[in-house]
Amino acid sequence: MVPDFEGAMTSPYPIAAIAGILIMVLSLAALLIWVERRLLALWQDRYGPNRVGPFGLLQVVADMIKIFAKEDWLPPFADKAVFIIAPAIIMVTVLLSFAVVPFSPGIIVVDLNIALLFFLGMSSLGVYSIVLAGWASDSKYSLLGGLRAAAQMISYEVFMSLSLMGVVLLAGSFRLSAIVEAQKRLWFIVPQFLGFVLFLIAGVAEARRSPFDLPEAEAELVAGFHSEYSGMKFGMFFVGEYLGVILISSMITVLFFGGWLGPWLPPIVWFLIKMFAFICFFILLRASLPRLRFDQLMSWGWKVMLPLALLNLIVTGAVVVAWR
Amino acid sequence: MRRNLIFILMSIEIMLNGTGVAFVAAGSRWGQPDGQIMFLFILAMAAAEVSVGLALVLRLYHLHHNLDADAANEMRG
Amino acid sequence: MEAAFYIAAIVAIVSTVLTITRSNAVHALLYLIVSLLAVAVVFYAMGAPLVAALEVIIYAGAIMVLFVFVVMMLNLGKRAAITEGQWMQGNIWLGPVLLSAVLVAEVLYLILRARLTESAGGVVDPKQVGLALYGPYLIGVELSSMLLLGALVGACHLGRPVLEKAEGRYDRNSDGARAHSGGNLIRAGARRAPNAP
Repeated sequence: MVPDFEGAMTSPYPIAAIAGILIMVLSLAALLIWVERRLLALWQDRYGPNRVGPFGLLQVVADMIKIFAKEDWLPPFADKAVFIIAPAIIMVTVLLSFAVVPFSPGIIVVDLNIALLFFLGMSSLGVYSIVLAGWASDSKYSLLGGLRAAAQMISYEVFMSLSLMGVVLLAGSFRLSAIVEAQKRLWFIVPQFLGFVLFLIAGVAEARRSPFDLPEAEAELVAGFHSEYSGMKFGMFFVGEYLGVILISSMITVLFFGGWLGPWLPPIVWFLIKMFAFICFFILLRASLPRLRFDQLMSWGWKVMLPLALLNLIVTGAVVVAWR
Repeated sequence: MRRNLIFILMSIEIMLNGTGVAFVAAGSRWGQPDGQIMFLFILAMAAAEVSVGLALVLRLYHLHHNLDADAANEMRG
Repeated sequence: MEAAFYIAAIVAIVSTVLTITRSNAVHALLYLIVSLLAVAVVFYAMGAPLVAALEVIIYAGAIMVLFVFVVMMLNLGKRAAITEGQWMQGNIWLGPVLLSAVLVAEVLYLILRARLTESAGGVVDPKQVGLALYGPYLIGVELSSMLLLGALVGACHLGRPVLEKAEGRYDRNSDGARAHSGGNLIRAGARRAPNAP
């Protein structure tokens, strides 16, 4: 009766694992705010924040104090309950997704047998945060941002799942630790290169990062879905976005780059190195690419990416069948 | 009394989900995958029904500017 | 797991009742989403992890987003909620509620009286479901793919003319002049000037 969620890898001290991963992930997200601003400045020939503390590192603390001290304004025209729930949803879904990410053997909250599906489910629930924030704010720009987010997420969700199914076919399991173990000889980036590219693009869209940041497009929609938010509620969207970047980077690492596998260094170090490389790639994307137009985004998703994802799945399936 | 088309569609979803629960529970009672497979078919059917249904709702809203199901009673016959 | 099952089942029932009694469409949808998530937990507790995940991904994550999308696109506002509240009044619902209450009482009586049989099967693995789906049920998969294709074509067909008509309506105003001018914005109004009242 009880489903199997006790994989071989699950940490023997679940509370310690939860606390450790939570602290690590949240402090990484806070640090990323500084890293992103410094790297963007580097690639755009500026200085970036460099006044508070060594290399401007304490800028994070200053920002946090500022955001906590700001007035938390509830617009009188907003739908109050939904307005308050919306930023909580993004934090809950992203943090829950981290429960199934295998950072290294033993450093994982739960080694679920349907971990990949769990991740996909949580990322599809994360949309509600944006959509409901846009609706509850009861302002035109926010509503447009929410509508864009809904359409974008539905479209990109589809081939995000499809692009991962090639990996599942090769590993023969939805369990993330099993997927990492299956890459002992060869990282899945080699046989699943198309799947990797598709997942990367879908992941950028899921994390709502530039060039797919249409829901918040500050130039046309005045920050879109969160234009009515202030104080810590805005902070939750902000941190949620960085958590999303970390999540997508760690999923790419797990699914295509052999997770914690690597010579000499301890496993967790390998994982963090790979993850950090992808985070930097995300920031480079933001520094270098212009934002897409909305119709380009939709037709690109449905007319190019979806057929490619299906093709990838069919070819992988045929190869797997022929191999046996 | 529900006359709102959106609510009617939502209620259909609830009913479909109820049958799904029944199928999965029956499948789990005998430890067979058949119940889950029936639920997968229900899922595909619900997706098809919702996409066409919501397109119809949008169309009706553009015609009548409200969501009253009784507003669309113009068919003669 | 037993406790998780019962708690999730109660949450599902309560949120479904709240869904069908709301007058604000978005609030009703939120309760429906909660109900679907609770049903997913019920599925997981019953040993059907694949279906539980699909319930979250497809039902709560895609179909309901579509609902929210349409409700937001119509953007009905407070007036619609008030109308809906007015429709909800009256005692038309009293009869059905009484009749279904009788049925619920009957079911409860049967459940409490009958000796509960222990569930025979354990967890049904995703792999088992997949093998059965593409084995004996292959024809069903083909038929549902046909159904989905039909729905795709139907939704496209239903959606298209509305958009064109809407664009046509706006065309009569400022954009029309721009379209006729062949992109020459400086002389955009010139062609229309003789006909202007």
